[in-house]
Amino acid sequence: MVKVEDIQQCAAGLLEKGQVKSVLGFRRGTAGAMAEPCTITEAAEAGTLVWDPTCLNNLALYLVKDRKQQAASKTPDIRPIGIVAKGCDSRAVAVLLQENYFKREEVFVIGVSCEGTGVIDPKKVATLLKGRSPSRVEFDGADGFKLTLRGGEMQVPAREILADRCLECRAASPALNDVVFGEPSGERGYATPFHAAKEALGASETERWAAWEHHFDRCLRCFACRSVCPMCYCPECVVDSTSFVIEPQTSAEEKANRIKWCERSPNTSESAVYHLTRAIHLAGRCVDCGECERVCPVNIPLRLLNTMLEMEAFEMFHYQAGHDLSQASLLSSFRDEDPNSFIR
Amino acid sequence: MTKKRTGVFVCHCGNNIAATVDVKRLAEEMTDEETVVYSQDYVYMCSDPGQNSVIQAIKDNQLDSVVVSCCSPNLHEKTFRDNAERAGISGFTCEIANIREQCAWVHKNREEATEKAIKISRSAIRRVAHNKALDPIAVPVTRRVMVIGGGIAGIQAALDVANAGLEVILVEKLATIGGHMLQLSETFPTLDCSQCILSPKMVEVSRHPNIKLMTYSEVQDVSGSVGNFRVKVLQKPTYVDPEACKLCDDCVQVCPVVVPNEHDLGLTARRAIHIPFAQAIPASYTLDVDACLGLNPIRCGKCKDVCEAGAINYDMQPRTVFEEVGAIIVATGFDLYGQENLGEYGAGKVEDVLDGLQFERLCSASGATKGHVLRPSDHKVPKEVVFIQCVGSRDPAQHCAYCSKICCMYTAKHARLYKHHVPDGRAYVFYIDIRSGGKGYEEFVQRTMEDDETIYLRGRVSKLHRTRDGKVRVLGTDTLTGQNVEIDADMVVLALAMQPSKGTEQAAKVLKIGRDKDGFLAEAHPKLKPVESVTAGIYLAGAAQGPKDIPETVSQASAAACKVLALLSQDTLSHAPTVAKVRESHCTGCEMCVDACPYQAIRLLNGKAVVNEVLCEGCGTCAGTCVRAAIDVKNVTQLQIHAMISAIMGG
Repeated sequence: MVKVEDIQQCAAGLLEKGQVKSVLGFRRGTAGAMAEPCTITEAAEAGTLVWDPTCLNNLALYLVKDRKQQAASKTPDIRPIGIVAKGCDSRAVAVLLQENYFKREEVFVIGVSCEGTGVIDPKKVATLLKGRSPSRVEFDGADGFKLTLRGGEMQVPAREILADRCLECRAASPALNDVVFGEPSGERGYATPFHAAKEALGASETERWAAWEHHFDRCLRCFACRSVCPMCYCPECVVDSTSFVIEPQTSAEEKANRIKWCERSPNTSESAVYHLTRAIHLAGRCVDCGECERVCPVNIPLRLLNTMLEMEAFEMFHYQAGHDLSQASLLSSFRDEDPNSFIR
Repeated sequence: MTKKRTGVFVCHCGNNIAATVDVKRLAEEMTDEETVVYSQDYVYMCSDPGQNSVIQAIKDNQLDSVVVSCCSPNLHEKTFRDNAERAGISGFTCEIANIREQCAWVHKNREEATEKAIKISRSAIRRVAHNKALDPIAVPVTRRVMVIGGGIAGIQAALDVANAGLEVILVEKLATIGGHMLQLSETFPTLDCSQCILSPKMVEVSRHPNIKLMTYSEVQDVSGSVGNFRVKVLQKPTYVDPEACKLCDDCVQVCPVVVPNEHDLGLTARRAIHIPFAQAIPASYTLDVDACLGLNPIRCGKCKDVCEAGAINYDMQPRTVFEEVGAIIVATGFDLYGQENLGEYGAGKVEDVLDGLQFERLCSASGATKGHVLRPSDHKVPKEVVFIQCVGSRDPAQHCAYCSKICCMYTAKHARLYKHHVPDGRAYVFYIDIRSGGKGYEEFVQRTMEDDETIYLRGRVSKLHRTRDGKVRVLGTDTLTGQNVEIDADMVVLALAMQPSKGTEQAAKVLKIGRDKDGFLAEAHPKLKPVESVTAGIYLAGAAQGPKDIPETVSQASAAACKVLALLSQDTLSHAPTVAKVRESHCTGCEMCVDACPYQAIRLLNGKAVVNEVLCEGCGTCAGTCVRAAIDVKNVTQLQIHAMISAIMGG
């Protein structure tokens, strides 16, 4: 069982000694039981940090945001940042390090193992409670949650309300860390890895296409999935003509010749191009934090798209994004024993 | 940007294109494109009048860019780019629309093929509208050559290049040069002694002032590109100093380890310390470390004790050498298809069933039996010998699909050699058909049949097995008489298929050159570039490129040498300027392109990717890997690809 005091003490210590300029963590939110991301810069604030099954967000995103801010700043502050990281968050940090987005010494990973459980899926909780919302969600033993409701408490087996990604999680404790709290834990046996993707593959091609057509048709192109993804840090998104980078040295010809690989209008085919391109750009980089799917306002099962590619990467090339900092990235590496029957 | 003035030139390619594509309509419709100011069609655009008409049109219409709708750019891109230069515009503003291989040849429906040709040509026009007039990059040349493989192909190529005054490094994996040719007894169609014609060449190699011989060595890595390769060679230790060795053979006399002799294909034995054969070049002994009791004076050390010259040194270490060369000739040769693959012929386990090379060693004066044909099991003279052709060849279902080309000839030679050694013996040859194309080859086979009374049976052998009375029973059919044939032979010789040598795969990988479906090294073009590999500056010679006999191998080796000499006769090489270019504003320094680049042409400088234009081959792997679209290949930019796709989609 992870004690929140440990995390608080660690954060306070880091700030006190000036080892980090800030610590990214979670604090109690203002609405309901859910925790929210926060940045603390003073040791005195460490007491506000929380750790419970509602700490959903992938905080690696805020490392990226800080990096962008510092790059644009006239007086960049490149002191290290501390980050409270679950298994998936630490994998995201590992991929960012692999891609040289920042240096190892610029981040201090306060690893937290999810041990036997993980984080909740608020939608599953809402379904379970038939619309009522809990005022508190806590870990309860090795594989259960305790929900506090008006009029009492209830114990729920973790399996029932765990987020899908946690059910399939293969590495619940952060492999990349500077300090780690909680017992190490790998696969927990809730569901086999890539269970959902494999199940989806059971349907015929026509059925699958019809399903995805339906999903892409709903897409609003609000780009929430892109905004929340720590891997979507490109200065210019190749599938979105609204984010062209214009610098002082950008010539008129370059401005005129910008390529619109997909149109802005959210129709089915353009949205399909957007999502499929994003999925392919995440191949070998997606750490399955499930944030894209969580934030989608129209419930597109984006995790399915991404885990499908993760599955291919794992089954064909034994590659797992963010598991090994020293390995070359999937898309840029070649080994003689890679299956290449299609090349000859 | 001022509007481009593009000319479109549609080639009929005789009837190759015109039969399937309506070339007149194609030329006419192209004038609808905004940038096209001129278009024409012609029966052979690559011919002299065709090329001249392009020059004339460029001059008359002040064209600044050209699209030629014709065959593959592999064939004539250079032709038309050079032609554009002659007309005074940059060759890099000329693009090819491939409407032959990618259209006319693969379609039948004229209407549809024409539509497709229009789309292909239109996309090339849109592409060329963004082409820049680039200047070639001049690269200095290293005027040295590496030849990999010391068989007859490598020897011939090395001598030809060295005789022209260039320095050659000849790398051979084994302890001596000579290759398979050295194992042969006589050669067809003249029956001259193989050693007698090869040994002088080997000596010439060892004495040539321009040739640096590196035996017992392997190429481990190659970097750089045409004109400037850097090759990493590992020299394995022989544990014998060739300078000091007096060839007295004392060490062999005391060596307690006996292993099969590879040079005689296991028909004789050798010691752990050995000289492959008396005429080996370099003339020195080699200590086979795998067989040796262990390089340790406490365990054995007999050879070192007995060596009066003090030539044996157990402490010799492998040496890694880096060589800078301008061109490489690959002549890694062949191996026989393994007998173990042939269950129907005993999988190599039936006694007195030999492969062709073993039979050569039996016939050879320096071989196991000092030139007497004796069967290995009981050293008796075999009175009935069956030769089987096409073993493993021409059998797409189970073995190699291709014809190994030389087996018809060497089986005929074997039959004759046998009859010359054993005049009262009887030779049978099972064949599918006889392929004896070549000067004097057919006459040679006829003489085998008529003068030497060899019995040719057209049919395959289904099975063979050893009988109790020590013979090999061969069960086959004679398809001419329609009868089953059963022969109790004293010895059987299999004409096994030729396959690329075991080292060829590794060599291809290291050199980054392609192989064909059978594993032979792939030539750049089967007709027009038969000795060039797909990588510039790397040339092919001998059986590593495909089954061939000695005359052909020697011709190809000389051809490769000639290509190398032409390449290195220039002071500088012109490197294509269509290289990768980084968009710094988009590069995040993730290093993926650095890892992906097969030419090590990209590195990271201040957090951004930087391309070494001399090393870059413009393959576009980096552009394909970069998820940020931060790297582009000049004249194949993403803008151009987008324009081409739009054109094809009808936009």
